[in-house]
Amino acid sequence: MTNFIEYLLGGLGSGAIIALMALALVLTWRATRVVNFAQIGQAMFTTFIALTVQEISGSWFVALVAAIAAGALLGVVVQYLVLRPVKRSDTSGAIIATFGVLIALQAAAGMIWGGEQEAYPQPFNTAGISAFGREWPISVYDLVVIGVTIGLVVGLSLLFTRTNLGLSMRATAFNPEVARLSGIRVSRTLTIGWAIAGVVGAVAGVLVAPISTLSPNSFDILLVFAFTAAVIGGLDSLVGAVALGVGTGLVISLVTGYSDSSNAPVVALVLLALNLLLKPDGVFGHTSSRSV
Amino acid sequence: MLTVSDLSVNYGPVHALSHVSIEVPRGEVTAVIGANGAGKSTLMRTLAGLAKAAGGSASLDGNPILGRKSEDLVRMGIALVPEGRSTIPELTVEENLRLGGMWRSRADRATSVGEVFDLFPVLGQRRSMGAATLSGGERQQLAIGRALMCDPRCLLLDEPSLGLAPIIVTQILTLVKRLATEANLAVLLVEQNAVTALRVATQGVVLNLGQVVMAGPAAEIASHDELRHAYLGY
Repeated sequence: MTNFIEYLLGGLGSGAIIALMALALVLTWRATRVVNFAQIGQAMFTTFIALTVQEISGSWFVALVAAIAAGALLGVVVQYLVLRPVKRSDTSGAIIATFGVLIALQAAAGMIWGGEQEAYPQPFNTAGISAFGREWPISVYDLVVIGVTIGLVVGLSLLFTRTNLGLSMRATAFNPEVARLSGIRVSRTLTIGWAIAGVVGAVAGVLVAPISTLSPNSFDILLVFAFTAAVIGGLDSLVGAVALGVGTGLVISLVTGYSDSSNAPVVALVLLALNLLLKPDGVFGHTSSRSV
Repeated sequence: MLTVSDLSVNYGPVHALSHVSIEVPRGEVTAVIGANGAGKSTLMRTLAGLAKAAGGSASLDGNPILGRKSEDLVRMGIALVPEGRSTIPELTVEENLRLGGMWRSRADRATSVGEVFDLFPVLGQRRSMGAATLSGGERQQLAIGRALMCDPRCLLLDEPSLGLAPIIVTQILTLVKRLATEANLAVLLVEQNAVTALRVATQGVVLNLGQVVMAGPAAEIASHDELRHAYLGY
């Protein structure tokens, strides 16, 4: 039982990062009905940029800001240059195109920074916290990650519920024609959605790099977990992405604890398959309200 | 005044509208009636920038409107209430309203929200409820309310009676007529429900297979027996 609780605590930090990545996938899905597989490539690329900035400036925080700016810019570029022209003809083509962008970004990163595994500096202590006479399976760094995730989620929900931009984004996602007739500049709103997703993905990248490694392919497994979480969460639901993201982190931690970390992706894919068989709309999907 | 002259719209090889000319003066309702497939919705969608014209011209108070984007047309004063459920069920009543006219100042929009709630009190009572909980008639009121939030000079109403009980239809259309007079709006009302539409309209236009077969005072069209039998089916 003690083990069980320890494993759960240990999964919170990685769960928060999976939640962020799932959130980024949901944001692009809601904006344009495209699952952006390039999201992980964008996050990897902006993390490399952050690493470069970190080496020059010596500041973890400046590097984070650089990643955020690069994430927004890259989101806009990918949506504008690739998605807009392709999406005009068909949606499945657009999804394939995001794979193309992923491969291109990984190749470009390999050419610029090399294919080696780079260590990303750890800005906070990643060792378990010692308190009450024992060591806990959660570190200061995990707490920072959880804090940043909560901050982003709260910020995004305020954006979506309290601002004109958020209302425009929701309306555009639900019914672009009504949005357009109301005077909302739909294509601009979609691009902003991709920029915000790019920012969230970039933050996830900078947060995960210190506790894994950084190479053009090192985040791929994160995409598997985030995609699982986003789909099971209903793809449309920000709450679902966060809840299932954290949930996936906990499941992975349990699987890793009781067996071996190499089993985690298999478990994630089994969960995804079960979800698609039993509840294809996702746990937090709201197809019912659309059929009214 | 909304002026449409010689407007043609094609869907591939199909002529949806051929050489249609209509004048919609401010301060009154102009009804376009005709059977299914007469081109009524095509006319509305073209004027709102959702479909492309193949020929002809259209202007609002002298400014050309064809070939412009919907987002720009609504800023010029053309607000379309599209056919069917044009509210967003996932948003609340107030959010649906606030979608309209976001480019306007905060104060202007607050005034408009107040006016819409005066016009449709039921929307005010349910402002924070989900639009999915509204009845069909209430949703139609909400859709009209959202169009009014855009501070229009010209209101395009596409089949507002669709799926509503006759008494609700009469209520809504009477209100539309009042709006046209009080706010000096040019209202273009497209309807299959010819009797009710012609009752609130000043002028009427009968559309058949994409062509205007008659235009004139609404009362005259309503009492034209041959026309009724031939094109309106009653």
